[in-house]
Formats: sequence, structure tokens, C-alpha cells
Amino acid sequence: MNSLRPLLLSGFLAASAPALLAQEPVQINLKTLTAQMKFDLSELVVSPGTKVKLVFENPDDMPHNVVFCQPGTNVEQLVMKMLEKPEEALKNNFLPNDPKVWLKSRLLNPHEKQEIEFTAPEKPGNYPYVCSFPGHAASMQGVLRVLGEGPKLENLKFALYHGSWKSLPDFTALTPHRTGDVPDNLVQLNFDDYKNQYGLVFTGTIKIPSNGEYTFYSASDDGCRITVGDEQVHKHDGIHPAEIKESKKKLKKGEYPVRIEYFQAEGGAALYVGWKGEHFDTTALSKWTPENWKKGVQQKTNEFVGLPLEPKGAPTIYRNFIAGAGNRSIGVGFEGGMNYAWSAETMNFTMAWRGAFMDAARHWRNRGGGHQPPAGFDVVRPTDLVPPLAVLENQESVWPTFTPDQPLEGYAWKGYDLDQNGVPTFHYTWKGVQVDEKIESTGDFKKGGSLVRTLTLKGQLPAKSFLLLSQKAKLTSTKEGYAVQGEKLNLNGTNYENQILIKAPGATVSGSSLLVPATEKIQISYTWPEMHPANHATHTAQ
Amino acid sequence: MKAQRLLLPVLLGSIVSAIYAPRPARAAAEPDPKEAEYYKITTFPTPPGTALEVSSVEFLPDGRVAMGTRRGEVWIASNAQNATTPGAWNKDTMIFEGDQAAPENSHIRYQRFAEGQHEILGLAWKDGWLYATNRYEVLRMKSQSGSGKADRFETVCDKWGVSGDYHEYSFGSRFDKNGDLWVLCCLTGSFSSKTPFRGWALRVKPDGTMVPTCSGVRSPGGVGFDAEGEVYYTDNQGPWHGACTLQHLVPGSFQGHPGGNMWYDLAPNMGPRPQDPMDKSRMVTERAKIKELVPPAVYMVYGPGKIGNSSTAIILDESEGKFGPFQKQIFIPDQSHSNVSRVFLETVNGVKQGVVFPFLTGLRSGPIGARMGKDGKFFVGGSDRGWGAKGGQPFAFERIDWTGKVPFEVHEMRAKPDGFELTFTEPVDPATAGNPASYSAREFTYIYQEKYGSPEVDDVLPKIEKAVVAGDGKSVRLHFDVLTKGHVHELHLDGVRSAKGASVLHPLAYYTLNEIPVK
Repeated sequence: MNSLRPLLLSGFLAASAPALLAQEPVQINLKTLTAQMKFDLSELVVSPGTKVKLVFENPDDMPHNVVFCQPGTNVEQLVMKMLEKPEEALKNNFLPNDPKVWLKSRLLNPHEKQEIEFTAPEKPGNYPYVCSFPGHAASMQGVLRVLGEGPKLENLKFALYHGSWKSLPDFTALTPHRTGDVPDNLVQLNFDDYKNQYGLVFTGTIKIPSNGEYTFYSASDDGCRITVGDEQVHKHDGIHPAEIKESKKKLKKGEYPVRIEYFQAEGGAALYVGWKGEHFDTTALSKWTPENWKKGVQQKTNEFVGLPLEPKGAPTIYRNFIAGAGNRSIGVGFEGGMNYAWSAETMNFTMAWRGAFMDAARHWRNRGGGHQPPAGFDVVRPTDLVPPLAVLENQESVWPTFTPDQPLEGYAWKGYDLDQNGVPTFHYTWKGVQVDEKIESTGDFKKGGSLVRTLTLKGQLPAKSFLLLSQKAKLTSTKEGYAVQGEKLNLNGTNYENQILIKAPGATVSGSSLLVPATEKIQISYTWPEMHPANHATHTAQ
Repeated sequence: MKAQRLLLPVLLGSIVSAIYAPRPARAAAEPDPKEAEYYKITTFPTPPGTALEVSSVEFLPDGRVAMGTRRGEVWIASNAQNATTPGAWNKDTMIFEGDQAAPENSHIRYQRFAEGQHEILGLAWKDGWLYATNRYEVLRMKSQSGSGKADRFETVCDKWGVSGDYHEYSFGSRFDKNGDLWVLCCLTGSFSSKTPFRGWALRVKPDGTMVPTCSGVRSPGGVGFDAEGEVYYTDNQGPWHGACTLQHLVPGSFQGHPGGNMWYDLAPNMGPRPQDPMDKSRMVTERAKIKELVPPAVYMVYGPGKIGNSSTAIILDESEGKFGPFQKQIFIPDQSHSNVSRVFLETVNGVKQGVVFPFLTGLRSGPIGARMGKDGKFFVGGSDRGWGAKGGQPFAFERIDWTGKVPFEVHEMRAKPDGFELTFTEPVDPATAGNPASYSAREFTYIYQEKYGSPEVDDVLPKIEKAVVAGDGKSVRLHFDVLTKGHVHELHLDGVRSAKGASVLHPLAYYTLNEIPVK
């Protein structure tokens, strides 16, 4: 049984039309994702010199732009450099005037759209793009890949055999009926009038341009096999119609002998062979190519974006595999764009983030495995996946750790209740103490809302019991609370600053940890640092 | 490729669209008109704004139907027993639309009871609580405030592991005759168990304690009971499973896949870890060596035109005739074939074994969750997500009703020392039923191996020497020249006619002969 492929976005088909054939510009649709600080596509692919119509749309509630740079540009540094002169940057709508930039959109207000026509660079390479609006560059970036054709076969010869086979025979043990050169160096079938019961072996050479992984394709009716050097790189043996098949192989740079074997039993006959490398686009090595032979290899999308959970009214609860929050996480998203994950294995508040809540596509459009990171931004995880409460004998005591599927000593998970507004209160026990924990949102994430966490502990609390608020952090005491700068958090390749303001009466600093003594009632508020002041400036300017 | 020469461009197009189109356009399965004379499928419209991927079904005391879904919701359907509005498949919108012109009392109504759970593959009602099995726990829920929406979620048992692998599904049963719930934990992937009790059957006692009960589970698709309350589960073709199976969960047994057997260390109640089976062997051979190994009660013979590719729920007919002549038999849907098969079980030499017959085709999606009420109303729902289903729809909720007409079928098939005894649902025509040439048989088994699946091997072509119609006119005794212990005995009844001249509606049976009776 085959797993279903992830769904692709609507922009995909339009953008992947074969560029070289098109007199009309190739259309590429690029969108921002609502409240996620991301473009919908992290990779665009075009052929050198193609005329392109870029349709750039901003359905988000914040302003965004897209700026295309020369290969090798560090886009985050580019934006930082622009912001060294904040007044000028503001005047230019945060569009950098930099020689590294070769194409840019306007700064699009929320729900605006712009069409830009341009000619793709002639020089193959990876051209990064970014939203240069302050604070967006870390996650809003992608790469425009300009890919040319790859090396073709050289010195190609064929050998034609007769025989009736159901799978590829050992041609080396057979005598060919006829041999000859292939002047156009393209794999093809019609050397003679034979329609049925024949085999072909092509030999030649190919240049592997660099060390790396290569994808080989075939669509053959019936079986075929490709050998490069001594290695079989692709095989689709047996009797079958011409379906596009692919296989990947790591190869070293150099010139290699190539051998392509094929047989035809009866009926339909067809043979397509192609390949693709890191630095070149899908390249046909045969005369015949099936319809859509370039499709699916031209553009990479953010694989699973596409089934956003949008809390409306009551909070949305999502018990599933959330990246960074363990295997038994309970995601909770509030309508105002404040979100958190609570773990039913560490019994702890594990992560918080702003903006969009979760994208359920990974779990709800496929078999349900894998960890999905939050859909929003400013993700913070003040502590590792550790239990919340512990007895600390002294300053040197080490906070207990947690190992997945090892019993969490002293704790038992009891479930949760929902109040009339649908807000959950989690229940667990710790050393005979009944703990109830409720986390509420104070409002809108765009207006400096907080998450307020209230723990009620009933029962005989052991002496020297503490609740851990943050770990491994740089802690700065301010009049609003503790500014916590944790270790950078990386979830599925995206880095988050991991900064939050924690306010908890009675909190104390112990080394790089922030603790609060466990009492009958503990209240903690989590507030993100203000957004970049320039953000407000632009909002006012509109 | 000969046969499909002309289809090539079409085929290529469809391959491309199958890979790239958001939702592959498939020809939906249609109910078989011959089967529809006896069993009618009503496909309900589903609530808008969600994917009703029914993965578990339970009845509430007032008759309403609760459904747990793969998206972690619980929906409660009212009037599902009587609703006649079949709904229509709108090919343009790709959704089901109820017939709004139909009278109100013919409509099904839905209410969302809970949401946010982690893939509910088991629901059971007890004492005002709805128990649900999600990926890593059994919990129970109720509406404390009386709002009709669950607002209290209590953990009952969370003592088995989960790692994030898609394969780690957990199927929960209803309460068994001792008041326990059974949880069937899928392995991590096809071969291994990365976290405790993956690949095991567990029992959850009423106080929430967990008792590891059977090892050797691979990839369950459902768990249920026979008429005596014995517990069974379905497993799927893969490593150590030549085909899908119906397996008897004997406490203390090893069910055949050794991938999770390291957890014997955590299950002292189970005794020492059994010896691993030898690769590329046969079930009958390994059974003789490994005393804990229980052979599959029934092989749900794998492949197109056979029984199934992905067996799921185990549905006992407790309707006492309201679902037709098959009371106390078991019905097993198949997620990829979108069909239902019928199983008759017996005990021979202390081992469960029996026969599977095709029963009904044409469900609209890939059935997973199902229940039959004592009123004979058979509810089935499912999704095609992850594996695809012949039915063609991404999800569905349906009801199967008996029309009141008795199909001419093999009713029961029992093993005898030198053959089988068949009983039929209707009197047979003695001339055809008594003629050995009306039948043909084949015996085969599967390689018991670590490799994924198995071809059918060790073929034996027995001769049916005699077919003797009994005095009651409804049963036939078949005498074979050879029976093979451990083999599936495939029987075709193409030549048999009823006294009224009808052919057998499903003239095909697969009997798994674990044991040959002495008399």
C-alpha cells in the first residue's frame, strides 16, 4: 500500500509549466501565510532567462514584502544592515537599497496583491528571497533556484537483441542482432521495424558534474535498468506500462560509462530516461518524454501547510504530536492568537507561541505520524521537557529530568475539565498533592496579550518544593518581571529567539534557573517582548 | 505491456493526477445489485465543516450512535436507526448532500460531543461515561454541566508508550465479559517496538490498572468479541503475516510477530519470553515448537477478488435474526476493499478456527469503526486516509439493513475428519448439491516469515470424492481425499443450486484448518 503524497498548493501547477517552451511568461504564485511569518513556498524553480510573472499576495494581517537577492546573500544580515539607518529604512518602506538586491515587490499592506514581471537570471544558482520587514527575515525566506539542463549522454551506441522475455535478461550472455551508433546521443526505440520481442542495450558515457545525490527517472514499457560505472542507479523491471519511476543515488564527480538496458515483450513500447542533480533541472536523455515529465520535480513547497486550525470562540484543543512538546502534548489555541502546549507526560506547561495555532495537515491528511511545529511565531520553551515540581535540598540540587516512556516518578496524569468558555484545567498528582493548572489568555497577541498560568496545589506540600519557571536562561530583573532569554529553540529547522517576560510573585533566581516556591496557589504570567517599534510606526503611517 | 496499450496516455495521465491532484478522482464503488436485494446500504450525509472519519462506533443507552473519529472528535448521531435520507454524492462539489425535500423524520442529526482527542480508535459506554482509547491512553468523558458537550475528561490508563511514529495506533475494545477494556497496540513501524507494549494486547481493569495480556501483535485493525465473549482482533498482512487475519486473544499467548517481545521484561505476569519463530517457516511447524503461539483463527485471504487487504472491525451479530440468518456470526469490514466479509468460527481440539465468506461490497469509503445493534442495524464508518479505499470517498458513515429476503448462501462450514459439513440458508437442489463436480477445492498456506507478506504456497489440489446431501435438505457433507493441517481450504461452489434454482450468492469459502477433528 502506498502512502499518500502530501497535498500540494494551488500555485504549484501553474509555476511548474515547462519554462523553456513558454513564450508567455511562466506564472509563479507566492503568498504569505496568515499569522505564521512564512511564505507558502520555500523554494521556487525556474529555467535561466525565463520570463516570469510573479503574483505575490499578502493575505496576512501584517505588512510584508518580498526581496530577491544575489546568490550567497545572507538575507538576515542584509535586513539588519538596512535597519542600521532606521529613518531611511522607514522612508523606503523597509525595502533595502542594496546592490545585492535585484528584484523587489512593494511593501504590501494586509490583503494586497502585486504582479511583477521579470526575466530570470541567465546564471544558474540559488537566489534567496526574504521579507525585509523588521522582525520577519528569520522565518520568512526562501530560495529561487535557477536551474539549467544537465549533462547529456555522449558516445552513445546501441545493441539490438531478439528474444521473448518477462524480465530483463542477461544481455551479456546474448549475441546482438545488430549494433550501431546513436548520432543524436538520445535513447530511442525505432532502430528497426520490430514491434515486439526485442531488447536494447545502450552504452555511452556521462559526466557527473560534482559529488552529490542524483535522481534518475524512467518511464518504460516494458522493463529497463540504468547502470553508471559499476553501479545500478535505477531499475524498473518486468512487464508494465510506462509509468514515471524515480530512484536516487549518490555519485562522485567524474566521467563514467553508462549502460541502459531495455526490453519489449508485446504491445505498447516506450522508453524515457532522464536525470536531475542538485545543480541542474530534470534533463531528458531520451528522444521520447512522457507528458508532464518535469512535473513534481520543479518546485518544493512547505510540505504540510494547509489545514490551519483557527480558534473561534472557545479555545481549540489539539492533542497530537507537537514538535518541541513531546509525544503526549495538548495544544491549546485561543482566538486572540495566544497559544500553548501542555504535556501529559511531563505534566508541564511546555511551549507558548503567538499568531496562528497549528496546522493539522500532517496529522489529518496522512497516516498521522510525525511532530508538527506550531504554525505561529515567537515560540518559547522556557524549560526543557522536565517535570514542573521538585524538592530542592539546596542551591546545588539538580532539577529532575524526564525520559520519554519512563515513568515520571511521583506524578500521575488525571485528565482535564473544560469551563463554560471551553478553557481547560489540567489535573495531576505529585507526591500526594492534587495539582490543578489553568492557563488563560488575556487578549490579542497584536496588543501585547499575556498567558496567565494558575496552579492550585491541594494537600501536604513537601518542604523545599519549587516550581520551575525557566532553565538555562539569561535572566534580567525588570520592573515588569524577569526578562528570560533562553537557549535558542530549533523546531524542524526554524530557529526561535526563545525570549519571554515572566512575572511570578516570589520568584527567585538560582543560577540560570528561575524558580518559585510551591504554595497553595501560584500565578505566573508570560508576556512577549513588544514587537519591533518600527512595526507600530508603519501601522500608524498607514 | 499488451492489454493496456491503448490506455497508455490515459493511464499516464491518471498516474500523474493520482500523484499530484489534491484528491484523486476515482471511480466510486457501487453496491452490487445482486447483493442489494438482500442487504441495503444507506449512506448518510455527514456534518459540514469536518471530516467524519469514523474510527469507532458505540451505542448510547438511548439508542443514539456515538462515533469517535481519526481527527479526535466524538459525534453523536440521532435518528440513525430510522433515517432514510441516503444523501447524494455530488460529483461537482465532491461532498454528500442530504435530500432537504425529504420529511424531517427521515433525517439523521449530528451533535459534536467532544473534540481535540488524539485519534479515537475505540469507544465504550459505561455508567454515564463514554470511554475512549486514543493513541496513548484510555480516558473517559462526560458532560458534567449538562450542556450536551463533554467537559470532563478523566485519564483511566496511560501506561503504554507512544513515540510519534504514524504506525503506533491503539485500538480499544468495548467492555468484555469481565468488565475489562482491551487495548491493541500497533508496533512502531512494521518490524519493531520502540516504546513499551507496542505489539501487545493489554487489558485495562476497572480500577485503571493495566495487564499485559498477549504479545505478538503487528498491526491491528479492530478488536471485538464472539458470541461466547471470547476476544479477537484483526491483524494485517506484513512481516510474520502472510495475509490479514482474525486472531483469538488467549491470555498469555504469543500472536505471532516477535517484534515487541522485549517487553516481556516489563510483564512478569506473562512468564518468560517465548522462543522466536524461525524465519521462512510455516505456522503449523512453529506452533508445534512454541507453546505460546496461537495460530490465526481465520486467514482473511489477501488479494483482489478475495477477502481483503486491510481487515478492521469485528462485528458480532446479536440481532437474533433481525439481520438475517447469520446470528452469532462475525462480520469483518476491509478498509481498502470497502467490503464486509462474514466469518463462522468453531473450536476444534481447543483451538479457534473457521471460515470466511465474501458478504457485501460497495461501501463508500474505507470502513474502520462499526457496530451492529440488537435491532440488526449495522453501522459502519471509515476513512481512506493513508492507504486508499476502493469506495472512493475520503470518509463515510453508513448503515447496512437486511431487506428481509434470505440470500442463498453457505450458512456454516464445519471441519470433519475427512472433509467439511456445509449448511445452507435455504434448501438445496439435491442433484447439484450432491454432485462433487459442483464443487472445486484448493489447499494452500503462507510462508511464516519476517519478510513483508507471503505468496500462497504449498498448494494441494484435493479431490472431492463425495457430496452427500442430508435428510434435512439444507446440509451437505463433503468428503475430501486429503485435508492438510494448517492450510487454508479454499472451496468454490459454482455448480450448487438451491431447491428454487438459485446459485449461491457468494460461492466461495476459505476455511483455516488449524486442527483436523477426530470425529
